[in-house]
Amino acid sequence: MNTILECKHLTHYYGKRKIYEDLSFEVPQGRILGLLGKNGTGKTTTINILSGYLEPREGECLIFGENIRTMPSHMRRRIGLLLEGHVQYHFMNIVQIEKFYSSFYPGQWKKEAYYELMNKLKVAPGQIIARMSNGQRSQVALGLILAQDPDLLVLDDFSLGLDPGYRRLFSDYLRDYAQAENKTVFLTSHIIQDMERLIDDCIIMDYGRILTQKPVKELLSSLYQYTCQVPEGYEPQLPDSFYHPSVIRGTLETCSFLPPAEAEEALKKHGVPYRSLSFGHVNLEDAFIGLTGKY
Amino acid sequence: MTKAIFYKEWLKLRWYFLLAFIVSNGMVAYCMLRIDRAIELKGAAHIWEVMVLKNVTFIDLLQYVPLITGIIAALVQFIPEMQRKCLKLTLHLPCSQQKMTVAMLATGVTVLFGCYLANLLIAVSYLPGVLPYELTRNILSAAAPWYLSGFAGYLFTAWICLEPTWKRRILNAAVAAITLRVYFLGVVPQSYNDFLPYLLVYTILLTTLSFISIRRFKAGRQD
Repeated sequence: MNTILECKHLTHYYGKRKIYEDLSFEVPQGRILGLLGKNGTGKTTTINILSGYLEPREGECLIFGENIRTMPSHMRRRIGLLLEGHVQYHFMNIVQIEKFYSSFYPGQWKKEAYYELMNKLKVAPGQIIARMSNGQRSQVALGLILAQDPDLLVLDDFSLGLDPGYRRLFSDYLRDYAQAENKTVFLTSHIIQDMERLIDDCIIMDYGRILTQKPVKELLSSLYQYTCQVPEGYEPQLPDSFYHPSVIRGTLETCSFLPPAEAEEALKKHGVPYRSLSFGHVNLEDAFIGLTGKY
Repeated sequence: MTKAIFYKEWLKLRWYFLLAFIVSNGMVAYCMLRIDRAIELKGAAHIWEVMVLKNVTFIDLLQYVPLITGIIAALVQFIPEMQRKCLKLTLHLPCSQQKMTVAMLATGVTVLFGCYLANLLIAVSYLPGVLPYELTRNILSAAAPWYLSGFAGYLFTAWICLEPTWKRRILNAAVAAITLRVYFLGVVPQSYNDFLPYLLVYTILLTTLSFISIRRFKAGRQD
């Protein structure tokens, strides 16, 4: 499978504050990859670097084998970019914006894909984007990307400001499109339930590093949430293979990639005074919180 | 593609162009009316004498009009680009970023040129009828640096707006304010005559400033 997007040894600092060091990942063709992380872990920094709007202190980002910072301008027609908050030219109406963008994509522009989506919106053709709701704006931004018909879609926090209906509409439309056309998608979102319906693979970032990168199905089938009872006042001291253990009212909660038998053995080996150990699989949001912690 | 950039910029500027066109031409017409009334009240010979001996041009009201027109044009054009980093969309388009920057600036300069040309046409259609050639030339040469300041104000403001950080914007604004003084050093007619070609070249060179801001924007500078 071809690699569409490849970030190699990215290191970035804001002033003296390290965002991450030696970050590398790649996205193969036809996959939808979601970048998950808490606020401040570098999601937007990564999006900015790979869309060419931030020069990393070290490392490089290749898209279609070309360094994004030196990529010939004509290659950008293969990349669809959705900015955080579905930013578009707010002084244009839906007809003007389509006319504007279509000039840049001769031979590939799918006007009908844009208007198919626009027809679902209850907006007058002359209504400017600034006077639309967030949901309507998201559909305009999505419609423009679909009409551009890019090979790679880079979407920064696509669910920001959308109500559940529009979030569902956006993610379902995007998923159908990406699967039918074998498109590659790289996206971030704060709302992880939406990601679970949409993405094939995920990268979970913690401060300064990648915690895990794997297909969502594999992550959810290999990660276990463990719950057990411990004596009051017990301070959890577990091996590194258990993520972010927390004790609330004598109940210890943690998660781990260790299967139950190995996990129990590890707890015994570390002398954890547990009883009533239970375990189970979790959804993506719980997996994310389990791996990155609540704080 | 260049046509599409012009289209986008025109959508931003069209109402402002109409306003600037009406206001600036209205002010030029008012200045011409002042000359007309002065001639009617005092007689042409007296007015010519005053204009020659006291270096009066009757267009002092227009001194900062082109500058203000230029600054507002750049604000109207570039603030929407910088709101929520909309410029990223523009720079992501499959078109040379240099070409795109030139096209954006060229639209603004053309709009200003349209306004200023109309101002000039009003002046040259009226002044030669009531003033001798030398006095008409005096008035136009006095106005020339002010009109160049309009383009300079536009280019400086574009530089400031496109700059990604506030700290640098304030610094750029201070540099622009000091540098724009060059266009208002003397109000005596023809005082800029020998200097005008250099001032023109200097104004054209200000175009390069926006490229510095775009480059800093692309690098994600935060200093």
